[in-house]
Order: sequence, then C-alpha cells, then structure tokens
Amino acid sequence: MRLFLVALAATVAVWGQVSYEQIRNGMGAEWLTYAGDYSGKRHSPLKQITVANANQLAAKWVYHMEVGRRLECVPLVHDGVMYVTNSNEVHALDARTGRRIWMFKDEQVKGSRVNRGAAVLGERVYFVTTDAHLVALNRRTGALIWSKQYADPAKGYFGSAAPLAVKNRLIVGVGGGDSGMRGFVAALSAETGDELWKTYTIPARGEPGSETWDEKVIDWGGGGTWLSGTFDPELNLLYWTTGNPWPDFYGGDRKGDNLYSDSVLALDATTGKMKWHFQFTPHDVWDWDAQAWPVLIEMPWEGKPRKVLLHANRNGFFYVIDRVTGEFLRATPYVDKLTWARGVDPKGRPIVVPGQVPSPAGTKICPAVRGASNWMSPSFNPETGLLHVPVLEQCDIYTSSAKDPQPMKGFAGTGGEQIPAEPGKFYMRALDPKTGKRIWEYPMTGPVTMWAGTVSTAGGVLFFGDDDGQLVAVESKTGRHLWHFQMGQMLTASPITWELDGRQYVTIAAQTDVFTFGLHEAQRSIPVVREREK
Amino acid sequence: MFRALGVLLACSLAAQRRDELRNPVDGSPEAIEAGRKLYVNSCSGCHGANAEGGRGPRLHSSRFVRNAGDERLFDSLKSGIKGSDMPATPLPDDQIWRILAFVRSLNASAYETPVAGDAAAGGQLFESAGCRNCHQIAGKGGVLGPDLTNLGLTRSVASIRESILKPNERWTEGHRGVTVIFRDGGKLEGVARNNTNYALQVLDARGALHHVDKAQVEELAWSRKSLMPEDYQTRLGRQGLNDLIAFLSRQAGRAPAPKEEAR
Repeated sequence: MRLFLVALAATVAVWGQVSYEQIRNGMGAEWLTYAGDYSGKRHSPLKQITVANANQLAAKWVYHMEVGRRLECVPLVHDGVMYVTNSNEVHALDARTGRRIWMFKDEQVKGSRVNRGAAVLGERVYFVTTDAHLVALNRRTGALIWSKQYADPAKGYFGSAAPLAVKNRLIVGVGGGDSGMRGFVAALSAETGDELWKTYTIPARGEPGSETWDEKVIDWGGGGTWLSGTFDPELNLLYWTTGNPWPDFYGGDRKGDNLYSDSVLALDATTGKMKWHFQFTPHDVWDWDAQAWPVLIEMPWEGKPRKVLLHANRNGFFYVIDRVTGEFLRATPYVDKLTWARGVDPKGRPIVVPGQVPSPAGTKICPAVRGASNWMSPSFNPETGLLHVPVLEQCDIYTSSAKDPQPMKGFAGTGGEQIPAEPGKFYMRALDPKTGKRIWEYPMTGPVTMWAGTVSTAGGVLFFGDDDGQLVAVESKTGRHLWHFQMGQMLTASPITWELDGRQYVTIAAQTDVFTFGLHEAQRSIPVVREREK
Repeated sequence: MFRALGVLLACSLAAQRRDELRNPVDGSPEAIEAGRKLYVNSCSGCHGANAEGGRGPRLHSSRFVRNAGDERLFDSLKSGIKGSDMPATPLPDDQIWRILAFVRSLNASAYETPVAGDAAAGGQLFESAGCRNCHQIAGKGGVLGPDLTNLGLTRSVASIRESILKPNERWTEGHRGVTVIFRDGGKLEGVARNNTNYALQVLDARGALHHVDKAQVEELAWSRKSLMPEDYQTRLGRQGLNDLIAFLSRQAGRAPAPKEEAR
C-alpha cells in the first residue's frame, strides 16, 4: 500500500501547471488553448518541418475512439500529454505514443452532440457536456472534481464549444439557436464553476436592442455562442461571435436587425459588459451564423499601426474591423459566387439585392447555407501577412415558411438545399488583409463535405484538411503542394502542431481517429522487457 | 399479493402494444423478491448465484443489461438467444417480468437504490479507515485508486460491495501496481495507466505521471494483488460496511441544476 518513488531515471515526469501567463505568452512548443493562443492566429513558431522537408512527413500514431462518431475537437498538448474530446468524453493520451492514460466519460448525460475541445488551466482539464455542464477534471488522473450546469437543456440549450480559460475563469457559450433559445456568453469560476457573469446575445424586452425585434420571438431569438472566442489581454476584451436569429429562414415574425445575432461582440473579460458590437448580417434569413474565428492582428491602416480583427464571414465578405472601437474598416468578397448583396455601405452594412431572400417556392442564392466559410479554423501567417481560409463556392435553393414558430420543436422556417447540378467546390484561399485580395488558392476535389481548418507554421508550411479526407501541406507563400496523407475519413476538425523531445508533430482528429505525423525517423529495436509478478 | 400482481400484470400487458413493451412490475419490491427466488431456481445455474456470471454472462453491474430495453431482455428470456447456450424459458410471462425486475435491481445505480447504512457515519469511516489516502472525492485524496466522486451514479450497490470485499475479483483499468526496474539500476513504483511492449505510463503515489521508454527498462514487476486491502469485512464489521456503502452510494459528481432566472 505504501508506494514510493524510488528513482526517476529514464522517465519523463509530468508536473508543470498551465498558467494564464503561459497561455498569454502565445504559442510555443505546446498547444494550450483551442486556437493555440488568445489571438486566434493559429500560427506556430515551430520550424523543424519546412518547405524543404515536409515531403518526408510520416504517420507516427493513430488513436481510435471506440465510440467516436464525428470528432470535431482541437486537441491540447501539455507536458507530454494530449487531451482530446468526444461527445461527453475526455481522453488523455501519451503524446509520444498515442496510448491512452485515462478517459473520463459522463454517463449521466442525456443526449450526445459533437464536442470541439477542452481547456487546461492549473492542474485541471475542463470541458462541457451536451447538457451544458462545465466539468473540471484532475489533469493527471481524469478524476472528476466537479460538474456544474451553466444552462438548462429544457430551455433549448446545449454545450459543444471548447471553454476558453482566461485568468481564473472559463468562458463558455451555448448552442441551440436553430430551434429557439436565448444565447449567452458566461464566465465561470475555474475554482468552483460558479457563474461570475452572463451576457445575453439577445436583449430582453425593453433593453437597448430590443427595438430590433418583434415581440413574437424575442424571448427565443437564438444568437448561439457555440464556438470559442479570442481574447486581447491588453484590452481585456473577449471577441465572441454569435449565431443566427430564430427562426432561421423566415423573418416575418422578427422584423428589424435582430441584434445581436450574427455579430461579433467585444466583451469585458472581467464584467462581461459589451464594449461594442458589429453585426455582419442584419436581419439574417439565410442562417449565416457569424461563427468563424475573429483573428486578432496588428497591421498598418492608412499609415498607422492598428489593432484589427479579421473575419471571413459565412455571408461571403471578408471583414477588417478596428478591435479597440469596433469601427468598420473594410469588407471585400472572398467568394465568386455571391448574389445576395451588391456590397457593403461605408458602415459595413450589406446592400441586399432585392428578391435574394428565401421564398415559399425557393430562391437560388449564393453563398450556400453552409456559408462561404464556417467555423473551421482559418490561420494567419505574420511572415507572409496572409490569412488562410477554407472557402466553399456554392449556391443553394432557399425556401421559407410562415408557420407559427414554436420554440424547441425543430422549426427553422425551412432551409436551403443543394442544387444537384451545382455541387459546389472547396478551396483553400490565402487573403491579404491589407488589400482584401486573394493571393493564391488551392482547389479541392472531394465530395464537398468537410469542416476542417488550418494551422500555419514558421517553417513556411500551411497544414489543412481537405474534403477528400486528406491532411495536406502546402507552401504558405504560394499554396504549392508539398505533402498529403489520406486518412480515409471525412475531416471535421482543425490540425495543430506541437513539439516534444525536440521533434515537431502535426495532429488532426478525423471522424473516429486522431492522427499524428512527424518527420520520418528509422525506428530502434526495442527488446522485450522481462515481466514477473511480485 | 401475487394474485393481485398477476391481475395487474395481465391488464397492463393487454394494454401494451408489442413495440412498447415495458416491465409492468419494474421497481416493485415484491416483484424483485419474487424474481430473486425465480432467478435462483431458473437462472443461477449458468449466471451464478449472485449473478456474477459463469457459463452465462454476469448479470449484475452489466453494461448490457443497463443498455438493453425491457423488450429485448424479455425476448432473450422468453425465446432464448440463437447461437448461444441461452435456452427459451417455459415460464409464464408474469414470472419472466419478475425475474427481469430482479435483474434490473442488480444494475440500478447505487444512488437510486435504498441502502441500510448511515451515510454520515460512512463518511467518517471513509476518512478514519484511510480510504482517502488512495481515492479522491471531489478532487481531494490520493491518486493511486479509482476516483470515487461519481461512484453512486456509475456503480450498483452490489458492485461497490464487491469492490470493497473482493478487490481482486477484477482489475480496474489503469490501477495495477507495478515496479519498473531500469537498465541503469533506477526503480519506479506506481500504477500502470497503460502498457505496451514499447512504452509504459506510470502514475506514482505523489501524482506524477511518468512516460517510460521500454528501451530503458530491464524488468517490470506487477502486483499480484490489488493495492486495495482485502480485510475490510473484518476491519469495518457489518454495520461499518453498510455505513461505508451508504456513503459511497451518495457520491454523485453532478451538482443540482441552478434555477434559471424568470423570462
């Protein structure tokens, strides 16, 4: 019963905590938060894998999730351990071998939706369950410390986003906006899970912004917050995107702009107070949630350095916004198939083309419901100055129905359907934020179904998942193909890169398996170890 | 009582459509007791006197039983399972339902099951008997034994009792004691969270996780027995054991839902 550590020889012991300062310091060898760092650039300083040697990448290990269905998680890596999530599960893996160290599964959860990842802070790992509990686990053993509910599924909510660890709190969001609920962002204590603040994305009756709604649906107006946000520590501001207003495709019962749906909100991380908002798609009837990364960079604007936020929205426009004030700076189309708006006005408001709205008989509109891009992660390479965005060129037939909206009954006011003769096409595109122009593109050839994002590296290599089940490496500067690997599964997650024992790795979750790659090395022969019972 | 139960059963069965079969006596203490007697006579030969399994699978603390619907279990008894040794039973339907009520009771979570002991006294025993040295509840305690924070919701009373009294009956994944002897003479003790021919992950008593490269290892010495002592029956006595089980049965990791503000 009394066990002692006799020697530490030839082992790597795991002790270090993850601090807020570590995450704030930005990306290094590890991947400590959903987007790699608070800025959401997803650009790693690692450069062992280069344009010259990326063609020597090889699979290192594969971890199979026994009941994996559709992995959307971005893994975290800390102290030689990788944390991956499945619906209501966290798996801790030995990052060197892919072997499981522990697994936590919450068997009390009713329902099973996708999960996009965990957070690490201090000695704990955090994740959310489908029924909107924030769960705190001992990061070394997977032992449950607490599980606190932060939203009520009976009111239309569910959890899926990776929590964002900021200082001593976890920032969480909710899904459910497609069937009626009232979205919010909340900060929960990292120590106890207690709620510190909660900011609704749909105003209550009588509050500022409520004048942009009809009374009929304002209580269930949607505005989901189902993707983590980014954070500027200097400004102490969170940037969180919001989902569509409800009902998605029929706007007759919610005349007005429907604030703060389809927006990016700048929230004070200490109080939750909204400092500013910018709405990309006022009075959305196309289901164009604003869930895409608000990427935070500094760049010159009219001769002066400026803190800006980059955002490639589902509606087909690529936005540059001053993230200190929320001032709109520019929006440019980043897809060719864009019919719903002629452009944006000087304030950033779209100039909607008459008739380009869903109708009972169906209207052909571009982009498609899935959007010109979506929640799959873009990345920004400071060395090339380019934003890499997975892009879908597609139109849909949008239909609407004026049926009386009943919340939480699956009613969305109907929807959009793919046009059989026009299946669409995915591209990886590099956009220049200084001009809004497209610099290069890499076409994909698959069945036009995927939700995979990108990761950029200082080695000049961009990794992304394509719609053919392949992890692809291209040259960041030009989009030239360097390497690919077929995983045989649709990709619904974004890759990461990390370093351990002086070796750089790339990891991506596929449908049911987590794949890790590194530069090829000849293996040593490992003798079989003698075993006995004591 | 049985006659009344039989009439009730007949009425409710008649009212049920075939595709909605539910056990009409599920949770009834009388039915569970009657089912226990029927089980001993008809099922224990293959599934064990305490449903621990034998020629047939274990039926207590069984993931299969927990996940299977009433209709599937009923059909398994009524018609047998093709391709297995499980025969069809000649018992009437009402007796099959009683057996199922008993089997279900073996699989109900401890949290839902009335237990005889005093949970508060059991909580004191948990501390005084040294349980916390190896087990955590709500993040406090040792790391070598399994976490017990959610035990009441994930295990049955029978399973908890077995784990205390017969800790060597089955291994809990990731908790087998191991001593690693390295080629350079070093030594490491802890529990093996994972093991292959090429790597081993060991959690030591301080809670440090060691990633071991097997190329550096000379020998592994595995604990023949669980780290859990086997003498709790005598150390705790019957009352103490019941109290400890009552305490452990109340361990549920989920806090009650907060009240949503009125909208």
